[in-house]
Amino acid sequence: MPDLLTVENLRQLFGGRNPTQAVDDVSFRLPAEPAIVSLVGESGSGKSTIARIILGLLKPTAGRVLYQGVDILTPDRKWNRRFRSEVQAVFQDPYSVYNPVYKAERVLKLVIRKFGLAKTKADAQEQMEEALRAVDLRPEEVLDRHPHQLSGGQRQRLMLARVYLMRPRLIVADEPVSMIDAGMRASFLNILGDFRDRHGISTLFITHDLSTAMYLGGEIIVLYQGRIMEQGETQTVMRSPLHPYAQLLISSIPTPDPRRRWREDLSAAPLAEISAIVADRANRHRCLFADRCPQVMDRCWEARPALLAPKDPGASHARREVACYLYD
Amino acid sequence: MPALLEIRGLSAGLRGRRSVTPVVSDVDLDVQAGEILGVVGESGCGKSTLAAAIMRLLVPPQVLQSGSMNFRLADGSYDLAQLPARELRQLRWRQLSYIPQGSMNSLNPVLRVERQMTDTLLQHGLTKAEAHKRSVAALELVNLEPKILESYPHELSGGMRQRVIIAAAVSMRPALIVADELTTALDVVTQRQILQELAAIRDELGATIILITHDMGVVAQIADRVAVMYAGKIAELGTVNGIFEAPLHPYSQGLIGSIPRESGQRVEGLPGEAPSPWKYPGGCRFHPRCPEVFAPCNERIPALLPQKPERRVACHLYDAEVAADA
Ligand SMILES: Nc1ncnc2c1ncn2[C@@H]1O[C@H](COP(=O)(O)OP(=O)(O)OP(=O)(O)O)[C@@H](O)[C@H]1O
Ligand SMILES: Nc1ncnc2c1ncn2[C@@H]1O[C@H](COP(=O)(O)OP(=O)(O)O)[C@@H](O)[C@H]1O
Ligand code: SF4
Ligand code: SF4
Ligand SMILES: [Mg+2]
Ligand SMILES: [Mg+2]
Repeated sequence: MPDLLTVENLRQLFGGRNPTQAVDDVSFRLPAEPAIVSLVGESGSGKSTIARIILGLLKPTAGRVLYQGVDILTPDRKWNRRFRSEVQAVFQDPYSVYNPVYKAERVLKLVIRKFGLAKTKADAQEQMEEALRAVDLRPEEVLDRHPHQLSGGQRQRLMLARVYLMRPRLIVADEPVSMIDAGMRASFLNILGDFRDRHGISTLFITHDLSTAMYLGGEIIVLYQGRIMEQGETQTVMRSPLHPYAQLLISSIPTPDPRRRWREDLSAAPLAEISAIVADRANRHRCLFADRCPQVMDRCWEARPALLAPKDPGASHARREVACYLYD
Repeated sequence: MPALLEIRGLSAGLRGRRSVTPVVSDVDLDVQAGEILGVVGESGCGKSTLAAAIMRLLVPPQVLQSGSMNFRLADGSYDLAQLPARELRQLRWRQLSYIPQGSMNSLNPVLRVERQMTDTLLQHGLTKAEAHKRSVAALELVNLEPKILESYPHELSGGMRQRVIIAAAVSMRPALIVADELTTALDVVTQRQILQELAAIRDELGATIILITHDMGVVAQIADRVAVMYAGKIAELGTVNGIFEAPLHPYSQGLIGSIPRESGQRVEGLPGEAPSPWKYPGGCRFHPRCPEVFAPCNERIPALLPQKPERRVACHLYDAEVAADA
């Protein structure tokens, strides 16, 4: 069986004379079996650009995206229609997706009609209620409300109910929980887990928040300035990150436990961002983390390290890969 | 030791056509000199309103309804709630500094950093040379080089802009800094650096900091004490270690219980959602969501009472008198 999603050597340049390399040779895959893969990185690291390319909203400068083995830019109308119903997007603020004059009921009914999901009225009603139950919303709580009368968490779950109606194979979720509260967040993420386990729906989960990725489990891909630095099973990477950037990132998570405070004080450390300005930004023929890396070596400045399975067998794991000269 | 800031019965709300909707209600809070006090709560619980009320920077329709805020400095005490506008202006910036939510996006895009940092200093009567010197010193506290003064805001990353804001806020060496969601929009590495810089500023200037955040992780890492807010009231107040180890208020218990400890471990969030001010329930405002709710909760408002050492809780479960009645 082909992978659900294959991303091959994606590259995206923005701008003319001094282009930004938003995405720089990124490859990864989601397996045919239901899975959750988190794509993490700081703001500007290229996450949303990758999402837009996967959804077919942006044509990449180079590289391609395969859905079940077929290039998503394939000009087959029937295939395209299937792709558009099987791959669904969930964005940061669902508010913008809704027509503010429609009540929640109408939002859901429109989808049922547009995709011809129900034959009878009763069937439509039943599907709607099942979808709401699947996302922990009580129909009487939301159906009669306009989007602005719902809380952020409710709006976001209504969005998931809408997605659920279409029974997609893949959800591409770009920062879906960054606007909702911690308490609410857990229930939203639990729903994605249920989707995978009970309904066979995979998720590509995009976030700058590592604790959310950790909670989701599955696999993780760590991006930095448009390149993948490390990928592997989330739990393994979180416990023992190999790449110095992943190590810095993970050790900087504000753990909600006062007995486990940050050990090292970075407040007196030379500001990475300053040196980044001084460093030759345009030069990407190097490790992009070299100007901040405590273990930097001469060769790190000379060519980009490839993303490879680490040599050290002790740390090896099925799909663990790292782009750092310390491990090749 | 008397508190640097002693807030009593502070209420602030939104003025409507007929009445004022309460947003922050009857807050009692002592802020100790030299501490970092975290104020946490879900979005919309009134954290920013509380911060603006302390700074007397509420904007209509927000109104300060009642209460006192005794601010103790070496040269005397001031009730910030009553202080006339002119005297308030004297205190602000010099002794009382505010970093509002989202302020890193409020820098003027057409002015260099230097102008934005020194303008206020000049208004406070410093000479140009003094203002420059202070700005450079303040930038150093947040690890920024003086050459940043020549930059325009768009040339700086989010983290650098936030540092410029912090530097401007501390350039007069204020006694109290109120920072609202200081690092919310930043990545974890920058967040960590900035929070650690803030702690270093506290040590170096001997300042006191009220740090407002929705993030329990930020509080756990950097605060000395924490006030947990729910629906415009303080639910629990105590040391960070104390509250994380043994939260007493059912809401704090829910908040801390819904933190996942390990990858793959499933937690259930708090059931239901925090009410908006128009829907604050009567009695204990947490009662519709509270797993421990009992007889008096939907009628009687629990007072914030001292419990174990260094702890205050607003919950009938811990009020012997109420328990005896029930
Ligand atoms: N000027 C205003 N006009 C209307 N409603 C307001 C105004 N200011 C505050 N509110 C309402 O008062 C409540 C408390 O707002 P506040 O900004 O203090 O919350 P917060 O705890 O800081 O939230 P967040 O974590 O989202 O920043 C919210 O329901 C908000 O919508
Ligand atoms: N349409 C665009 N035009 C120009 N630059 C863009 C555009 N979209 C994104 N970028 C740039 O590409 C980089 C990656 O952006 P983005 O994918 O949005 O990152 P993220 O989602 O990780 O924050 C950034 O430097 C951003 O400014
Ligand atoms: S390749 Fe070199 S600079 Fe890059 S992370 Fe590894 S050791 Fe550091
Ligand atoms: S007062 Fe009652 S409702 Fe409120 S937190 Fe305590 S037990 Fe729960
Ligand atoms: Mg993005
Ligand atoms: Mg706020």
